[in-house]
Amino acid sequence: MAQEERDRRVVERELTMSRAMVEAIAHEMREDEEVFYMGEDVADYGGIFDSTEGLLDEFGYDRVMDVPISETAYLGAAVGAAQAGMRPIAELMFVDFFGVAMDQIYNNMAKNTYMSGGSVNVPMVLTAAVGGTYNDAGQHSQTLYGTFAHLPGMKVVVPSTAYDAKGLMHNAIRDDDPVVYLFHKRLMGIGWMPAPGGPKTPVPKTDYTIPFGSADVKREGSDVTVVTLGLHVHRALEAAESLADDGVDAEVIDLRTLVPLDTETVVDSVRKTGNLVVVDEDYRSFGVTGEIVASVADEALENLDAVERVALPDVPIPYARSMENEVIPDVQDIEDAIQATR
Amino acid sequence: MSENTDRVAIAADGDWTADVDAEEGVVVNWFVGEGSAVEEGDSLCEIQVEKVSVDMEAPTDGTLDEIAHDEGDEFTIGDTLAWIEPG
Repeated sequence: MAQEERDRRVVERELTMSRAMVEAIAHEMREDEEVFYMGEDVADYGGIFDSTEGLLDEFGYDRVMDVPISETAYLGAAVGAAQAGMRPIAELMFVDFFGVAMDQIYNNMAKNTYMSGGSVNVPMVLTAAVGGTYNDAGQHSQTLYGTFAHLPGMKVVVPSTAYDAKGLMHNAIRDDDPVVYLFHKRLMGIGWMPAPGGPKTPVPKTDYTIPFGSADVKREGSDVTVVTLGLHVHRALEAAESLADDGVDAEVIDLRTLVPLDTETVVDSVRKTGNLVVVDEDYRSFGVTGEIVASVADEALENLDAVERVALPDVPIPYARSMENEVIPDVQDIEDAIQATR
Repeated sequence: MSENTDRVAIAADGDWTADVDAEEGVVVNWFVGEGSAVEEGDSLCEIQVEKVSVDMEAPTDGTLDEIAHDEGDEFTIGDTLAWIEPG
């Protein structure tokens, strides 16, 4: 086969987001024997959202560990292992379960570097599935980006495409500080919960990193800046395409990480467009939308003509499909918000 | 589509069927598109039957000639998912 043809074949290869994540994890496990994965249903089952599919076959039970329902115990074990020099990846399954291990996450994982005066670091990755849109009710559907981003000491990563998911995962595992890596169920590309078209992208076979704190302009536009993350990147892009027919040119920015937060890209965009819409699947109060609006107001108040926030109302996420659809922002909600800035 | 009868069918079948009770599955993802050059052992697509996820691999070098079940399509175990033109 000619080299040119081989190159084309590699470029053509498209992965779902779960495959891209797993490829990064497997690469790091091959490179560094201190990297291991633990969590509920991550070994034999391959992760309930395919977050570890195939890892057990290659690495065995010593490095891909199923644990009992014992979040405090195994997240505490991960913190200890990280302090002792290993590089654990601990999966919380649903992010909603963080409450039972809040002390380990909120007080130990995030703070032990500070509490020890820098004599230990905690190079661990906490992975968890976030998001609704599939009728799993109030304790299995939250995003909680803001909860972790609010806590000093934690880096927070939220990929929206397969390409980003792989590059950010490489970075997360190699980082010497604790990282919370939140993947949206609806983006993973699993058979029983189809993803929208966007998250599946070409993914290089080789390893590469995407620096934390680098927001990505997923669509350029001149009339209004739409800032979002995760699943809603794809809904915002759909809204932008729809409005393009009406002569509204929306720019869509994918934050990719909340901590560190790339306010520069957002502010530069608002200086260009003059209008800001922030879309979030987390709760509205004390969340990402407020933070972004405040950051832009700090630095570019004079450029800001109009602001709209689109987020979940402050209610537990309903089980009934019609009610869940009502509270989670959809494409029409985003279109309406963009139009409201005009 | 080629009329070459030497085309190799990629059937949704294999040892993994012993692990599943269901007879229907869904194509989750095609890693390569029609017309792509493939090498023996390359993953062509990911299928899911119940919770079991399986990579269908190219049995030979060649060109992925035709996809019979697109992403999201359901299939019955044993169905032909695609054809490879050897070469």
